[in-house]
Amino acid sequence: MATEVLWWIFAIITVAATAGTVFSKSVIHSAIFLIGSLAGVGVMYVFLVVDFLALVQFLIYGGAVTVLILLALMVTRADPTGRPEDTDGPQKPFGVVVGGAIMAILIGVAVSTSWPNDVSDKAHGIPIDTISQKLFIDFGPPFVIASALLLVALIGAIILARHEEGE
Amino acid sequence: MGADQAWILVALPAAAFVVLALCGRWLPRQGDVLAVLAIGASLVLYFFVLHDFLHQRDGLVNSHEYWSIAMHHTWSNVGNFNLNFGTYVDPLSAVMVGVVTIAGTLITIFSIGYMKGEVRYWWFFAVLMGFIAAKLMLVLSDNLLLLYFAWEGVGVCSFLLIGFYWEKRSAAEAAKKAFITTRIGDVGLLIGIILLWKATGTFNIQDILTAATTGQIGHVYLFVSLMFIFLGAMGKSALFPFHVWLPDAMEGPTPVSALIHAATMVVAGVYLIARLLPAFEVVPASLLVVTIVGLVTAILTGFMALATTDIKKVLAYSTIGQLGFMYIALGCSHPDAAIMHLMTHAFFKSLLFLAAGSVIIGTHHNQDMKQLGGLWRKMPITAVTFLIGSLALAAVPPFSGFWSKDEIFHGTTAWNGGWVTFLLGFAAVLTALYTTRLFVRTFLGKPQDQAVYDNAHETGPVMVLPLIILALITCVAGFTVFNGVGRAMGFPGGFTEFVFLHEPERFVMNWSWAAASAVIAFGGVFLAGWIYWGNRITISTRLADWQPGVYNMLVNKFYFDDLYQAGIDRGLLGFSYVVSWFDRYVVNDTGVDGVADTTRYSGSILKYVQTGKVPAYALGIALGAVGLAIAGLVVRG
Amino acid sequence: MVPLENYLVLSAIMFSLGVYGVLTRRNAVLILMSVELMLNAVSLNFVAFASYLDPSKIIGAVFAVFVITVAAAEVGLALAIIIRLYRNRSTANVDEVATLKW
Repeated sequence: MATEVLWWIFAIITVAATAGTVFSKSVIHSAIFLIGSLAGVGVMYVFLVVDFLALVQFLIYGGAVTVLILLALMVTRADPTGRPEDTDGPQKPFGVVVGGAIMAILIGVAVSTSWPNDVSDKAHGIPIDTISQKLFIDFGPPFVIASALLLVALIGAIILARHEEGE
Repeated sequence: MGADQAWILVALPAAAFVVLALCGRWLPRQGDVLAVLAIGASLVLYFFVLHDFLHQRDGLVNSHEYWSIAMHHTWSNVGNFNLNFGTYVDPLSAVMVGVVTIAGTLITIFSIGYMKGEVRYWWFFAVLMGFIAAKLMLVLSDNLLLLYFAWEGVGVCSFLLIGFYWEKRSAAEAAKKAFITTRIGDVGLLIGIILLWKATGTFNIQDILTAATTGQIGHVYLFVSLMFIFLGAMGKSALFPFHVWLPDAMEGPTPVSALIHAATMVVAGVYLIARLLPAFEVVPASLLVVTIVGLVTAILTGFMALATTDIKKVLAYSTIGQLGFMYIALGCSHPDAAIMHLMTHAFFKSLLFLAAGSVIIGTHHNQDMKQLGGLWRKMPITAVTFLIGSLALAAVPPFSGFWSKDEIFHGTTAWNGGWVTFLLGFAAVLTALYTTRLFVRTFLGKPQDQAVYDNAHETGPVMVLPLIILALITCVAGFTVFNGVGRAMGFPGGFTEFVFLHEPERFVMNWSWAAASAVIAFGGVFLAGWIYWGNRITISTRLADWQPGVYNMLVNKFYFDDLYQAGIDRGLLGFSYVVSWFDRYVVNDTGVDGVADTTRYSGSILKYVQTGKVPAYALGIALGAVGLAIAGLVVRG
Repeated sequence: MVPLENYLVLSAIMFSLGVYGVLTRRNAVLILMSVELMLNAVSLNFVAFASYLDPSKIIGAVFAVFVITVAAAEVGLALAIIIRLYRNRSTANVDEVATLKW
């Protein structure tokens, strides 16, 4: 029972942080809300007993990606004070309609479908070596390809962001 | 080497063709030796094949059993469409291969002398090899599709050779004419082959013949498809009304004319009909058509030859006439006589053409008999060999043409009423007439043009040697008509039985028939001799003056060329005008330009959808996702 | 225990908010952040489904790892592009860059 109460608290925090990310008038605030949202997802991973993934989520998203985004914001903005400005475009009504439609469809489908809620068979603390075996043996080739993707993205990012002659 | 490796006979000249066509220019002597070696090797190997073939026959108990050696390879299997190809050696194709290789070898040797110093010397020999290879493939093929390929190969090579001097406009025109005229027939042949394939589901000739003779094909259907095939044979053999291309084909070098006439081109039709004769015999009406076409051709070309003064064109008309004789024999269900005549004709006609080529070279490219005459003093060997060939053509005994033509005479008795025999006799008289005229006006009498006469000389040994060999063959080839001679040469039961064992009908020397045809031949020869020898040429001039209309008609070849030209001008060009109008206004303006205009117009409107703004595109994606989701829900219910 | 629907609804809300952000925001970095939200929603979905429905309980986590990998690569590249854009146009607002049209 205590788990469920905790779950609800974190779920509300996650949704609130997400809403803050997309509704905030200040880009810096948005970025900080994003940290909260991503951390909330990490907590959800803990509830789903995938501790390793939660760790990855905190480290990569909460740490690396958010820092990177904040950095980009600071580089691309003349005014880093977080003063409110016109961050939303003229498509706002369409965004509301389409986002609402997608939410309605997804929630409707999720709720109306009868899932085999096999709670008793729920995972208990998946050991990290199980994940590594899955990742390196069963999903070996995709893993290698993903590493190549990362390398290519790294090189591409360097080349794109490089300060070229004559600029 | 056994008869089942007969494909090597084809492969040798074909390989020579490839080598010569690719790099003949740089070979020593431009590769003519290679050509002679290739066809010579084919000739030698042919005798091995023949020996093996006869040897295998000795093992058969029943001497009248038809025997053949077939070889199959799978070509392609698509669904239930099985395509096999292979060689088929039976007595008929063995004889044809013999004719082609012997005549081909001698003509190739002769060409070395005739073509000396010509432009594109190597190319001539390359195409010559291709020509021979295609013809050998044609006679050895065991199915109609491969036969059709070879048939077209023969057509292409003849086109290239007739148009060998393509810088000359008349040669290019002649090549085009030959190709287009035979092409009309080829389309018929293709239609016929497809019709037979639809009825039987196979291209294999023997299977088709079995199906036809056992009545698996309806008679009307069979008749129609056979008539289409006969159309192909008519085009290739230059039968009436396709005869117009052959005289013009004289534009090619003379050895080519010899090859076309004797071995490779025109007799392909005879071979095809002889090969399919069992099917023709199922429908007697088709035999009647073959006979009538042969008769009309023989008589018409006889008249035309009388009014022609070009040596080679006279020979061309005589070829068409002799082909008419062969078709008459086929129409009378006497393929043995037809093939016999084909064989003797191949030898004496290549002899005549090579001798004519020798005359042309000896008189420095003069081939109009109005300017020749008295040449026998200058060119004795050529004159004698030409005389032998002429006598054979005129069917004077004992030269080969007499025996084979006599067999055809005898065969015509198959048609009741004797009208075929009568018309055939008439055509034979015409043959003797124009042949004698040709010889007399070229070699005897007084020189018509002193300058030409003074410069005339006998040709070199490389050209004279094939003449002598062919003359010898011409003298003796006819005697194979006697079964004893055939047996002595190793052909079991004589020549006829060798060719068509399944109808063991031997040549019958009916001496009264022989006497009659000899009288016809001698009559024609003496009539022509009386007219044309000893300055009585005025008689023919007076005849021409007496009936100028008839004479002009003959000189103008019965106006067939003009008729066809008018047909092309009026019909074809009118039709092509309509087609071009349709193409210009309907296809181009409406179809091609219309599509382009529609695309451009709709693009000019729809381009405003491309705002260039990323959020708008994102909105499009999102709306699309929502739409798809809703559609999925609706479909699932 | 928390039923599966809860996770699904949570993920749906996150995803929809992400879509709204992508469609509404002008700043490219903010759009990128919204895309990250959508990716996280999907990852959460994967892991939730795996925990409840997959016998091995683990495939979802593996997929989430791959999603994180791709997202990291994507963030790196996108930020490089944004910096490039800013350097050329002195703005990071995507609706001010609209020359790629008729």
